Amino acid sequence: MAEPKTSSRALVVLSALMPVLLLGGVLYLLFARGTGLRLEAPAPIEKLDFERVVLEPGEIRAHVLNTGPEPLTIVQVQVGWISRASWEFEIKPDPTLPRLGRAVVRIPYPWTPGEPYEIVLITANNLIFTHEIEMAQETPTPGPEMLGAFALLGVYVGVIPVFLGILWLPFLRSLSRQWYFFLLSLTAGLLVFLGVDALHDALENAERVPDPYQGVALILIGLSLSLLGLYAVSGWLKQRRQSRSSGTAEVTTPLLLAYTVAFGIGVHNLGEGLAIGGAYALGEFATTFLLVVGFMVHNLTEGVAVVAPVVRTEFRWRHLIWLGLLAGAPTIAGTLMGAFTYTAVWAVLFLAIGAGAVFQVVIEITRHQMRQAGAASLASGASLAGFALGLAVMWVTGLFVTV
Amino acid sequence: MKNRTRMLLATVLVLAMAAGLLLWPPGREAADQADSSPQARAVAASHGRHLPPTKGSGMFQYATPTGRRFEASQVYDPSPPPSEPAPNGVREYTLVIEEDVPHEVAPGVLVPAWTFNRTVPGPVLRVTEGETLRVTLINKGKLPHTIHFHGIHPASMDGVFELVPPGGEFTYEFVARPYGVMPYHCHSMPTSQHIHNGLYGMVIVDPKEGRPPMRELAMVMSAFDLDRDGEAEFYAWNGRAFQYADNPVELAAGEPVRMYVMNIFEEAMVPHLHGNLYQLYPSGTTLTPTEFTDVKTLSIAERAILEFTYDYPGHYMFQCHVTEHMEQGLMGWFRVVEDETVARRTQK
Repeated sequence: MAEPKTSSRALVVLSALMPVLLLGGVLYLLFARGTGLRLEAPAPIEKLDFERVVLEPGEIRAHVLNTGPEPLTIVQVQVGWISRASWEFEIKPDPTLPRLGRAVVRIPYPWTPGEPYEIVLITANNLIFTHEIEMAQETPTPGPEMLGAFALLGVYVGVIPVFLGILWLPFLRSLSRQWYFFLLSLTAGLLVFLGVDALHDALENAERVPDPYQGVALILIGLSLSLLGLYAVSGWLKQRRQSRSSGTAEVTTPLLLAYTVAFGIGVHNLGEGLAIGGAYALGEFATTFLLVVGFMVHNLTEGVAVVAPVVRTEFRWRHLIWLGLLAGAPTIAGTLMGAFTYTAVWAVLFLAIGAGAVFQVVIEITRHQMRQAGAASLASGASLAGFALGLAVMWVTGLFVTV
Repeated sequence: MKNRTRMLLATVLVLAMAAGLLLWPPGREAADQADSSPQARAVAASHGRHLPPTKGSGMFQYATPTGRRFEASQVYDPSPPPSEPAPNGVREYTLVIEEDVPHEVAPGVLVPAWTFNRTVPGPVLRVTEGETLRVTLINKGKLPHTIHFHGIHPASMDGVFELVPPGGEFTYEFVARPYGVMPYHCHSMPTSQHIHNGLYGMVIVDPKEGRPPMRELAMVMSAFDLDRDGEAEFYAWNGRAFQYADNPVELAAGEPVRMYVMNIFEEAMVPHLHGNLYQLYPSGTTLTPTEFTDVKTLSIAERAILEFTYDYPGHYMFQCHVTEHMEQGLMGWFRVVEDETVARRTQK
């Protein structure tokens, strides 16, 4: 076969662009000539999403996003308590929102803590958009005190439990070798549970994502990107290690595996922190003492998951601190981001990334065990029992989290 | 062995860190902040800021008013036509029905109203008992319409059987009786829609002997359900939410006032005056009041005459005492001023 001539390159480019150019032409004709169909909606289509609602003493501020196909104008505001009341309001930057435009509606309303409210926005086309505040409480503002409080919440929920779980290491080390695979399987069980849980949370949050941002598609993107991305990164790390030690060393060191687990859990905790902080910011639940305790118990197991791979390995103890921080500290970032800059989009994305990371770690652990003891060991009594116990522990401690 | 010691050390360190964090005070302080004291303070502060009603739409006392208001030019004139004998004993009116007339219910909220003479409510008609009321209806809409009058009249003048087709015309003619406050409204089916959309108004039938001259106001209480979900978004005196809050009705201290009130919405309404009580004439069909009160529930299509006099100058709210109705627009202000000419006039 003859080599294609260089002059045909223009033809190749043209053939690549042709369908797009033709589509442009067709669209032009459509706009210029019309379709003969009535494409105008008989009634105006407007959509308005509440992204964030801030409650301050004597004031409610609603951050809204126009997710409809056309610009819309907010002309009246009411606040519902038992019944609705017309209220003063101020809209910045402008009462007219272009498509995907944002505005802040300031309502000087003397709300009282613990009461339910409804925010009612009426547009110039007489469409009504409402947002329910289940129980009013002051929204944290990013002052040093609230910043500290939310960072502390992250520490409680993420960092402390992970470190406490790591403290089981001396005990785990005293166990005999056959317990090692039990522990690895336990970790796998914990992680599978976490991954499914994160997906569930992501789906829940996806309902709050404005339609044009396609929440469920975001989950798919986050999940697959983290799964494939981590796969590529760990592959690259192994390759580097292999070439450096001229192929004699073990393919995956237990320490590297521990770091992978810690990273996966860390990303997951970031998403969890976002969800907690965000829900708090939307006034959808009070961070009750019970809930924080529940998360602590739940996340205690994450510490076990992090150190399980290195139970039978000598390593420098400083690694434990890095492992714990890698797994736990992202929670702090999550609660802070969630509380002060919450949008559902980020929560969904990070929860999905977390789920992908966690699932990738499960694959990694499984491969590690297969290399160490063969595929048959996965079906051994110890492994199955460990996996089942991992799921059970998460389920039981999860009882504390769902209030 | 050395490694063991290090592990132990690390354990102690982590435990100490954890204990320190658990006992760290900022978290508790933040929790303490959640109590209601700043909230209570803010509410108290806003309550203390009663701004003059000249600036106000609905709930002005809580904030600096912003946004659009009803201009004086948009306000429905609350004064009814004067009571005077009709030429040749025949009082004539022409009512033109149009559909989808933009009607601003609240600033910026325009509803496609169906109107008599392009206003909601329609114009107040006034006639003396025993005179002939002759009302010509011109239907400029796309639907058949009628006018149904309350009162005593022949069946053929009841505005129920004969629909006036689009482009059609019909003249209602009957002797007005009895005296009182009577509603008129379209009775085409579905009547609920024709009334809700704005086809209603008030007829004042004066007694032959007349009533003592007073400053007079006519107020129709109604509501507008924008999304047709059975719950109105705006309630109004004379068709616009808060129009008399944005533009208070001026009265003079010592001046006797007669207010004709009618409820045309499908919920009970309770006209209530602040700083005063009124003599109540239910349906306006008596010459002597039956009650001296400041709240009277007007059921559906019920009406009354209220007579009162303000002794002191100042701003007085007149509202529907159903608080939901008040908060959604059935609220206005009387600005009572010292007026010596009025005082002299009424002393005569």
